[in-house]
This record gives sequence, structure tokens and C-alpha cells, in this order.
Amino acid sequence: MAVLSIDTSAAVGVALVADDGSRLAARRVDERRRHAERLAPMIADVLAEAGLTRADLTAVVAGTGPAPFTGLRVGLVTARTLALALGVPVWGVPSLDAIAVEAVADLGLTPGDEVLVATDARRREVYWARYRVRAHEGPRGVPVVETVAGPDVGKADAVAAAQDPAAPGARLVVVGEGAALYPDALRSPALPADVMAGDVMAGDVMAADVMAADDAPALPDAAVLARVALQRRAAGQELPTEPLYLRRPDVQEPVRRAATTTGGA
Amino acid sequence: MAADPLVLGIETSCDETGVALVRGNELLVDATASSMDEHARFGGIIPEVASRAHLESMIPTIQRALGEADVDLSQVDAVAVTAGPGLVGPLTIGSSAAKALAVGLGKPLYGVNHVIGHACVDQLVHGPFPERVMALVVSGGHSSLLLVDDVATNVTELGSTLDDAAGEAFDKVGRLLGLPYPGGPHVDRLAREGDPTAIRFPRGLTARKDQAEHAYDFSFSGLKTAVARWVENEQDAGRPLPLADVAASFAEAVVDVLTAKTIAACRAHDVDTLVIGGGFSANSQLREKAAARCAEAGIELRIPPIRYCTDNGAMIAALGSAVVRAGVAPSSLDFGVDSSMPLTTIHV
Repeated sequence: MAVLSIDTSAAVGVALVADDGSRLAARRVDERRRHAERLAPMIADVLAEAGLTRADLTAVVAGTGPAPFTGLRVGLVTARTLALALGVPVWGVPSLDAIAVEAVADLGLTPGDEVLVATDARRREVYWARYRVRAHEGPRGVPVVETVAGPDVGKADAVAAAQDPAAPGARLVVVGEGAALYPDALRSPALPADVMAGDVMAGDVMAADVMAADDAPALPDAAVLARVALQRRAAGQELPTEPLYLRRPDVQEPVRRAATTTGGA
Repeated sequence: MAADPLVLGIETSCDETGVALVRGNELLVDATASSMDEHARFGGIIPEVASRAHLESMIPTIQRALGEADVDLSQVDAVAVTAGPGLVGPLTIGSSAAKALAVGLGKPLYGVNHVIGHACVDQLVHGPFPERVMALVVSGGHSSLLLVDDVATNVTELGSTLDDAAGEAFDKVGRLLGLPYPGGPHVDRLAREGDPTAIRFPRGLTARKDQAEHAYDFSFSGLKTAVARWVENEQDAGRPLPLADVAASFAEAVVDVLTAKTIAACRAHDVDTLVIGGGFSANSQLREKAAARCAEAGIELRIPPIRYCTDNGAMIAALGSAVVRAGVAPSSLDFGVDSSMPLTTIHV
């Protein structure tokens, strides 16, 4: 029995986890355009690697973004349709949540610490959300975070400028691809000095280059996404798979040409 | 697989989410959700708006089709989906859903050509095609003349539009005349009250010099410009526009070329059955002129009812069914959609 998890918010990630959250198989390709070509074969691959068949799947999990639209939808429509075909539930988890949860585990963050997740929104903007750690190891061994701001989309420097400092004694870390893409905005010198309230590790943890080089996650891990979903389901939460677009379609209503004619109908 | 496999077809090339079930040439159900109302105020299809609607409509439309046909997904033998041509964003939703169904059901997947589906759907209405048929596919996105020897394996494109599709020309002229979007049906309604011989608009690519290279190709861009110029001249002269006559004469120019070239192609290739498909085959002047000219030439004319001429899942399930029965190998799970899929590609 296993849960299949899909994230197409940036690259294409697929994982199979057991009901206890342990990773059975996983695949990730750094493909940013052809999500629809890569995803389905990867699902077949993880099933084969784990020695499972589709009948062994008990649920499907999908990252709901925020993310560039076309790739995001590939993951969501695949998860929903696969769940329909298998007759199992489908659960959605914001992709940024998976990055935050993984950061808590990887960086040893503790209750009260905060995580600013920033990912690539293209058009020189980032998708972002800010989280506060509730538990380093919550139910089922998975960290628990609460969202304190976002998810939203904006220019990196505007996002940085809008951040309040963490509580005294707490740390604020910036993770995700956005931190690496816009280091001038999303690394310590650009954020107000008191954002890194407390003194422990602030300089180290804050710097984008440390994030990129070390253990900090840059992309959502589909296995973590599945663990978060299982934890939240166990807590009775609803997990809708509505996409977090955060942007409206780029369209303008035309000014209607006045009928300049007479006669006819 | 059974002799007559049950094929589920998914169509998402533009603004309609279509799901249908076909067994052999029998249509069990055809369910469609449309986002047209959301596009009308923009005066054209907005791909991102259509893509969002496809994502939200996919599961409900599949469920509606299954419910109405009283079929369980486990009974489906194969999944067919539009692989192109069309809008990339919308196509991607359909192909992803179809791949997920194929993986989830453990059944083969067939990515097929939307335009050829427009011809193939007629088999669900009028029965199997005879050995060789001519197909004219006309819509807001396509105007193609196809010689069909075997709809699953052997289709030859004799000609197509070099610029605007027939339906597109109608939408543009509709806008020119101040009619609501989409202009096609409005121009058609107006044209019925007008005199198609009132104004002699040009017939594209019918000159002798065009016959060598473009005998069966179409061009409607020059016609649209001619209508615009004519309207301008009348307005400059301060004369009231005879809207109905303009619409009727414009439609006559489009329909005259479409039918004349199609009949000529039938004669040249010794074909005595003509199939017309695509959303523009709803046009009343096209239906009347095609019927008259086919009768005159001794050609059997097959036009499916209008609900099968617009984009729908039935056309894709129909072509999928034909392809499966022809023994064609299934598509690979990694196929990509092709927004400008050529008509030489029946399936991927």
C-alpha cells in the first residue's frame, strides 16, 4: 500500500511513500517546460522501481503551487484523473509548504523560528510564503509549520522589504530557488538587520549562498509533500487540489467597436 | 481486446472540454463543457482562461459521460485524446488527463489528430466510410481538404487555407460589421435576409495562375480586406450600409470557393462521397450550396448534425476507435502535444 505524490510546481518530481511516510521510490528531473511529456512515464517508473502496481495505491497527492500555470496544471489534472481511475482520494498540499517543512528538518529549526520560502515566479518575480515552526518533529515525525504570510507573488526586493523581524531569539531563514535567483534582495544585507532577530546562526542561515550550497531545500520534494498530506489528513484537515495561481490571466477586455451602421437586421 | 473495443475520447484543443465513449462506430455518450461564455467579452479565445476551465471541467465531464452511459471506467478498453493541432495549454490538460487514465486503468493510449477527427465523427452518424471519401474540414481554426482512403492510416491533404480559416474570416467580418463575438453565427443569420449576389466580392486563389500550385488551397484574408474596403467606401460616401447584403455576399464568396474547389477535387480523384465537418459546417449557405452542387455532380453528401461538427469528445473517440481497430500501435506515454500538427500525422 502506498501513496503516489506529484509536484510540478517547478521541476517534475514524483515519489511513492508507504503509509508510514517512508520513501519507497522517487524521481526528479529538472524539466521546466515539458512537464506533460515527463510526468506519466515517471509515475510508471516509480511503481516499477518499488515493485508495486497501480492497484497498490491508496491515495494521490499533488503540489498545488503557487507555480507557473501550465506545469502546475499538468500535475493537478494528472493527480485528479489518476485518483478517479484508481478510485482513491486525491489530496492537495501547497508546494511551498513542502519546502518549508523540509527546511525545518534539514536546518534543525525549532519552534518559533521562521522560514521565508521564495520560488521562481518568472517575470522577475517570486512566489513566496512565510512560515513559523510549530514543531521540529510533529505527529508521524514530520515537522509542523503554520503559514504566517502569503502565499503571494511579487518582486524579490518588495517581498524582502515587507518582511517583519522574527520574534526575539528566533531565527528567520530564506530558502527556495528565489533566494538563489535574487541574492541581492533575499540575502541578509538587503533585509533589515533586525529581521534576523536573535543572534544564533543568523548570518549563516540567512545567506542565500549557504542555502544553495548546503542542506536547505531549493525545490519541493514529492516525498515530503506526501508526508505533510498524510499528517494533515490524520489531523482531519481538508486538502483541496485547487491551483494556487495567484495571478489573473493576462487579458484585457477590448473596447467594443460601436456599430457604425444602419439598415440590415 | 474485444473486436469492438470501448474507447474513451478526450478533446481539449480549444475552449470545449469534450469526453465521449464510442464502441465501434456506435456513440454511447458525448459530454461537453464549454468556456465560451468566459471568452465572449474578450472577443476571442484566451488560452489561459480556456486552460483554467479545462482543469476544472475535466473530472466532472468524465464523470458525467460515464454516468450518462452507465459505464464504469474499468470497462474502458482504450483512451484516445487530441494530440494536436490546437492551443498548447488546453491540449496539455487533455493529454495529461488521458495519460493518467491510461496509467491508472492499465489501458493503451492513442494521441490523435483533431482535424481528422472532425471528418471521422461522421462515421458515428452515417456509418463506415466507403473506400475513398473526400473530407472538407472547416472551422474557426481550420479549412482543409482531405482525401481519405483509410481514416486511421491513409489520409492525404490536398489543400488548406494559406491564411485565415473560413470560420475565422466570418468572425473577423462579424467584428467589422459590429456584430457580437463569435461573429460566424451572427453573420450567417444576417446573411439569410440578404442578397448573396448584391456585391461581387473576390474569390481567393481561383485565378488561372493559381491553379498549378493552389488548385485546392484557400485564402480568405484578401476577401476580408475587400469587405472592409467596401464598407469603408460606403461609409465615406455617407450611404447606409446594407448589412444583410454585405453578409450574404461575403458568405457567398467564401462558400462558392469552398464548394467549387471541393467538387473539383472529388472529380479529379474520382470520389463520389463528400464529408463536411468542423464548426463552420453549421453555416446555412455552405450546407445549401454543397447540397446543390453535390446533387448536380452526383456526389453523396454527408454532413453530421451540428452538435457533432463543433469540437467534441465524440470525434476523438471515433478516430481513436478507428485507429485501435486498424491495429495501430499505441502512443508512448511521453508524447508531446503539437499545436500545429500536420495532417500527415493521424496519430502519434
